[in-house]
Amino acid sequence: MIGHVDADCFYVSAERVRFPHLTGVPVGVIGNHGACIIAKSYEAKAAGIKTGTPIWEGVTLCPDAVYVKRDFRWYEALSRKMLELVKEVSPRVEFYSIDESFYEVEVIDPHGLQAAILERVGVPVSVGIAPTKTLAKLCSDSSKPFGVRIVTSDDERRELLAGIPVTEVCGIAGKAAIKLAAHRITTCDEFVAADNRLIRKLLTVVGERLWYELRGEPVLPVLISRAAHQRIARGGSIGRATRDPARVAAFVVRNVERVVEALFYYQVTCDQLTLSLDFRGAPGRAIRCSLLGSTADTGDLRDAALWLLPRVWRPASATVHYMHVIADRLRPLTDRQRSLFERRTVKDERIEFVKRSINDVVGRFALRSASTLPLTDVYDDPANSYDIPDIHGKTCF
Amino acid sequence: MCSGVAILRDKLTDPLILRHELGWRLHDRSLDHSGRFEARFMFAERRPQLPVVHDGQLVIYEWGMAFEKNRKCFRVGYCKEEGLRADNWRYLKPEPVVIPADYGFERGVWFAIVEGVRGIVVRDEQERPHVFVLTQPSTHYYQMMTKRDREPVLVEQVI
Repeated sequence: MIGHVDADCFYVSAERVRFPHLTGVPVGVIGNHGACIIAKSYEAKAAGIKTGTPIWEGVTLCPDAVYVKRDFRWYEALSRKMLELVKEVSPRVEFYSIDESFYEVEVIDPHGLQAAILERVGVPVSVGIAPTKTLAKLCSDSSKPFGVRIVTSDDERRELLAGIPVTEVCGIAGKAAIKLAAHRITTCDEFVAADNRLIRKLLTVVGERLWYELRGEPVLPVLISRAAHQRIARGGSIGRATRDPARVAAFVVRNVERVVEALFYYQVTCDQLTLSLDFRGAPGRAIRCSLLGSTADTGDLRDAALWLLPRVWRPASATVHYMHVIADRLRPLTDRQRSLFERRTVKDERIEFVKRSINDVVGRFALRSASTLPLTDVYDDPANSYDIPDIHGKTCF
Repeated sequence: MCSGVAILRDKLTDPLILRHELGWRLHDRSLDHSGRFEARFMFAERRPQLPVVHDGQLVIYEWGMAFEKNRKCFRVGYCKEEGLRADNWRYLKPEPVVIPADYGFERGVWFAIVEGVRGIVVRDEQERPHVFVLTQPSTHYYQMMTKRDREPVLVEQVI
């Protein structure tokens, strides 16, 4: 059996741990730039606030709601405490996302785990237990808030799946749902009743795995360590949209430095680099380049990204508001392909080491590339100190 | 800026509520009206007030001062931190204080406050105390949230 622990409105619950007076009042957590609500309490949800609602709409929907600035460091600290408690009841635990984990059930005591997390972390969670990961996740989702649901028999499984939209299953959304709907498959019970060959034809082997999982036949294992990355991407909104080349280039370098942090954490190098830009009022563009050998060096990646920038940014008058730097074709650091044209010297490695050591002690980005000088306002603004994708070790985004 | 603050009812003593007739300021923020009361203090009131910790005691003072210019009455309730540092307020002998608050309010947005807001107290000719909220240029984040270019100086907190 597999268990799924899912925190109830995690960011809000985490805020209520340190500000207990927020309990019972409508709360919205505001995202990285102060404009969008990225999490809401059940009270705020009842007032019509949704995830992604801009704050100015939230204010109209629920004038009494309290807004809190996101603090991903705090959420990560509580997330890791929750994970430790799950590890106390199971030898195999998957750190799925910041507020969710899967575990192999040794003793079925979901209420005990739920009570322990509430008492020792302060966060209410819902727990689902079922023969497969997909069913366990559906169980906890259907028992929210602060519920427990266990599915052991076929009858209980059928009862769980009856009438649930197929889009509730993690991995089925958008185009997949449209393809299924064309065959009159809109609910989970219709999905499992369909022929698995049809599902494979429509959704490939990935969809077929879900078909087996929903039938109670486990095919997705609990991953106790994160599978090797296919790629590592860093980026997102750049705040105010801009067409200033120096500012855009500085954001590219900032994201390269974030990519390098992640490459170092996972001890990998990359063979390719992709830069993608989204523009206001024009289609987004992305271009990839191959690197001279496998590298995780800030200088190499920065040069590559800045070489890509004018090639992606056409016409240069377009206003940039979103970007991603993506490291592709990753290899373990110990197995990297060296280049005949390698420029990295012992001195460069020492500089990287010193930079990392200083930043570990003084703070992230305390020492950074001078190319990011046009972003002094961003670095000086304490609101920009942390970004969610930089939480390492999760198996899901 | 910060056009209002709220403090939890539990932090106010009954004598303080009676003495300053704060009963009308109490609001229940919970949607189910489960009794999570707080006292709200807004600058837009006719005679605005603020809770202040002054000389170690929680008291209620008038928020800012009213002036008359060209037959128009206006009220000043804020003090720029840069101006205070430049000693522009020295002749008024300002005393630094903390305005204890759990929530701040600006342009319809209520935001959580950890400890309180920094302010100054100055006395008028009759030695009556008036409290002014200290402000500083907004962070990008606060500006996005409230569309204001100045934000209150908070105790050990940056929004």
